[in-house]
Amino acid sequence: MNYFFHILIMINIYMILALSLNIPVGYTGLLSLSHASFYGVGAYISTLLMMKLGIGFIPSLLFSIFGSVLLGLVISIPSLRLKGDYFMLSTLAFQIVTFTILYNWVSLTRGPYGIPGIPAPQFFGIIIDTIPSFLIFSSAVASICLYLLYILGKSPFGRLLKAIREDELSAMSLGKNTVKFKITSFAISAGFAAIPGVLFAGYMTYIDPTSFTLEESIFILSIIIIGGSGNFLGPVLGTIFMILLPEILRFLALPDSIIANMRQIIYGFLIILLLRFRPQGIKGEYKFQ
Amino acid sequence: MLLQLLANGIITGLCYSLVALGFAMIYFTTKTFHFAHGSIYTLSVYLFFTFYNMANLPFPIAIFFSLSITAVIGILVDELIYVPLIKKKSSQSIQMLSSLGLYIVIVNFIAMIYGNETKVISPGIQPTYQIGSVILTRVQILTFIISLILSATFMIFLKLSKLGIMIRGMRDDPELLSIMGIPPRKIRWFVFSVGSVFAGVASILNGLDVGIDPNIGMLALLNGAVAVIIGGVGIFEGTFLGAVLLGTLQSLVIWKTSARWQNTITFLLLIILLLFRPQGILGKKQRVEESLQ
Repeated sequence: MNYFFHILIMINIYMILALSLNIPVGYTGLLSLSHASFYGVGAYISTLLMMKLGIGFIPSLLFSIFGSVLLGLVISIPSLRLKGDYFMLSTLAFQIVTFTILYNWVSLTRGPYGIPGIPAPQFFGIIIDTIPSFLIFSSAVASICLYLLYILGKSPFGRLLKAIREDELSAMSLGKNTVKFKITSFAISAGFAAIPGVLFAGYMTYIDPTSFTLEESIFILSIIIIGGSGNFLGPVLGTIFMILLPEILRFLALPDSIIANMRQIIYGFLIILLLRFRPQGIKGEYKFQ
Repeated sequence: MLLQLLANGIITGLCYSLVALGFAMIYFTTKTFHFAHGSIYTLSVYLFFTFYNMANLPFPIAIFFSLSITAVIGILVDELIYVPLIKKKSSQSIQMLSSLGLYIVIVNFIAMIYGNETKVISPGIQPTYQIGSVILTRVQILTFIISLILSATFMIFLKLSKLGIMIRGMRDDPELLSIMGIPPRKIRWFVFSVGSVFAGVASILNGLDVGIDPNIGMLALLNGAVAVIIGGVGIFEGTFLGAVLLGTLQSLVIWKTSARWQNTITFLLLIILLLFRPQGILGKKQRVEESLQ
């Protein structure tokens, strides 16, 4: 049963990641390869605040969101100037810089040794320290995030982001400050990405930088390429599919050493095939062009 | 110590220049950010490993086989992945993403077949030579000579030969080239095969020096791409210069801090360049969008 709960918790975590990345990618049309850095920075800030300064769970969650938003603002500055693959390249560079800092600043993050013994989330006298309770907690958090992101997508703000994606010049000529909206969408997305980071740290009770690599960023982006983006359903389906894929492979009795590579080969193929034959993914709205 | 690090840096830079020139030739003429170049880099040295270490073929024959297959795979990647996307009028970002997908596929195939651990191609301690106060291994000297000759030949070829002029023509205006009656497809084949061979040579040289694992391609490709941006998009001499500068800079980072911060410095440099001088050190000032057209 715990195995089943574990998968559901991972789906909760990745659903928030995918839907938050959906804002810049699916709505604004900015392809970003730095989402894992926000995820990681969220995890590290809350962990360090809780363990080194003894700050409570809720305040450190808020601080990690704040820190991630700040990082998002820094990373989105290139969007003022860069377009297309140059923008992607700059987010990739930021992703690698963030990872190498987490990896090499050993005195703060313990680098490759990771941080063990992260305390369980604890607030208002409730301790979330069993797998079933963590499932309930993460589902509640995910529901709140999903609701907020859903509202955001339907709001005038979300529609304006879509307008920028479809035709930036028209949006500008309506007197909208498109650069400001691009940066805002990126920063909001970064803030939301910190939340699954905090969940992940509390659930695993151990983090190290290898969970927040460029490969992880590519994985999150591939979730919304495969599921589809620009709406709500696409990333949700993408997450369920991508998290269940290795479990399905395990049922086919493939050895563990092959599963990890096999899963990556399948999603690499899916990216190539979908971009070519079905650029809106399984159930997306936005067609990558 | 400083001299030694400078020498190491320049040799590393020359090795980067091979990857970078191959990548640059593809990027400038086809406008495709060829991420899969990194996986071709990896594939090539694994092919060499198969022929040389596993099948025990003689060194020159193993080199010939692995580089020929690399060239063919380079062309296949173009025909199967990029040409259909270009026909569909997909943007450069989509080509880059597809390329990233292909990178994942190839590298994981390699990891599945050969395993994730580091493999050694030439076991034992390499003979070293002392020049002044600098000590170099035989592979390093080989890298220096081969990279320098290949890069120089390549640049002279681009300047003087007819095909070289066509390649530069395709960089400047692909449509005009087809109006002139020159089939762009033939040039694409040339560019992808030769570019892939360059990556293969670099990966084999580097593999002889430090061994191989399935993930070497990503960093090699990114270093090459950074070299292209340093030198300026569209300028082959700039790419060469950028690669040597990057290698030297990374070596000096070791001197000042430690090897761990190499990547941080490299990619901070990339961000700073993209923000403040996207045309590179040799490029003329123009808007980024124009340089990509």
